Amino acid sequence: MAEQFVCKSSEFKNGERQIIRIGEEEIGVFKHEDEYFAYSNFCLHQGGPACEGLTIARVEEHLRADKTSMGLSFSEKDMNFVCPWHGYEYDMRTGAHVADPKVRLRKYDIVKKGDDIYVVA
Amino acid sequence: MSSHEATKSLKKTAAKKALAPKAGADGDPTPAQKAAFAKAMYEGVKPGIKTARKIAQEKSDKAKSDAEKPVQKVEILRKIAAPATPVETPDTKRALQLAADIEKATQDGDFERFQPEAQQALIGALCRLYSANNDMGNHFGAVGQRSAVTATDVMVLCGALLKAVDLQVFELGLWQSWSSR
Repeated sequence: MAEQFVCKSSEFKNGERQIIRIGEEEIGVFKHEDEYFAYSNFCLHQGGPACEGLTIARVEEHLRADKTSMGLSFSEKDMNFVCPWHGYEYDMRTGAHVADPKVRLRKYDIVKKGDDIYVVA
Repeated sequence: MSSHEATKSLKKTAAKKALAPKAGADGDPTPAQKAAFAKAMYEGVKPGIKTARKIAQEKSDKAKSDAEKPVQKVEILRKIAAPATPVETPDTKRALQLAADIEKATQDGDFERFQPEAQQALIGALCRLYSANNDMGNHFGAVGQRSAVTATDVMVLCGALLKAVDLQVFELGLWQSWSSR
């Protein structure tokens, strides 16, 4: 495992993504609210490009005291990304599948040294 | 001792030998081997001995093979831009604030906060604005990504809009197929 330089943080805007290849691995690097996340770009469902689909806020259902629904809304803080092939949805912060948290994408550590962003792979 | 007794004694000795545990026969180290191992562990690998030379050789071979390995390079395959954010003009800001207020009133169940006349005015104005933009070639989705509009909501409003201008669903279908929209 070695630190691999990806880019300068000043060149990486919030909400942007970069799909990179390091050796045999294809990795999606996200910048979301000044935080960096890197996951394998290989969907656990059928191997689609998991990091290249929509980024979408988590859908939350609001319940009354009697557990009846008050409707759905988008989360203010949680963001997900969706595999464009069949809609497998993953949590941006953990890489865990939204419906089954035991299923999660391989996560790569990100190291920030000054203005430089490195992926540990 | 008779010959019979001598044979019996020999057989007994042979049986004892066969039944006695043989050190090292079943893979266990002998006491001598155990002592040698403990001594080696205690002393460690002394420089100059065969094992030390072997370890040094292995280290140097590994360093050589690591140096020969090609350095993995990061290849940037694709850059995906951030989703477009609205340009913050004062009017856009005001409209977004109004939309947020309407959304909050709906979530709170305060459906009478905006009177029907206000809702009609908003729907009518937005309908004309969206259509004008579409004619100008500014195509965009009628509902943004961060919206909780359901399929039922859309069908209810579409039905009401068609009814408001006295249109039937089949007329909408005809118009869409003729105009390839």
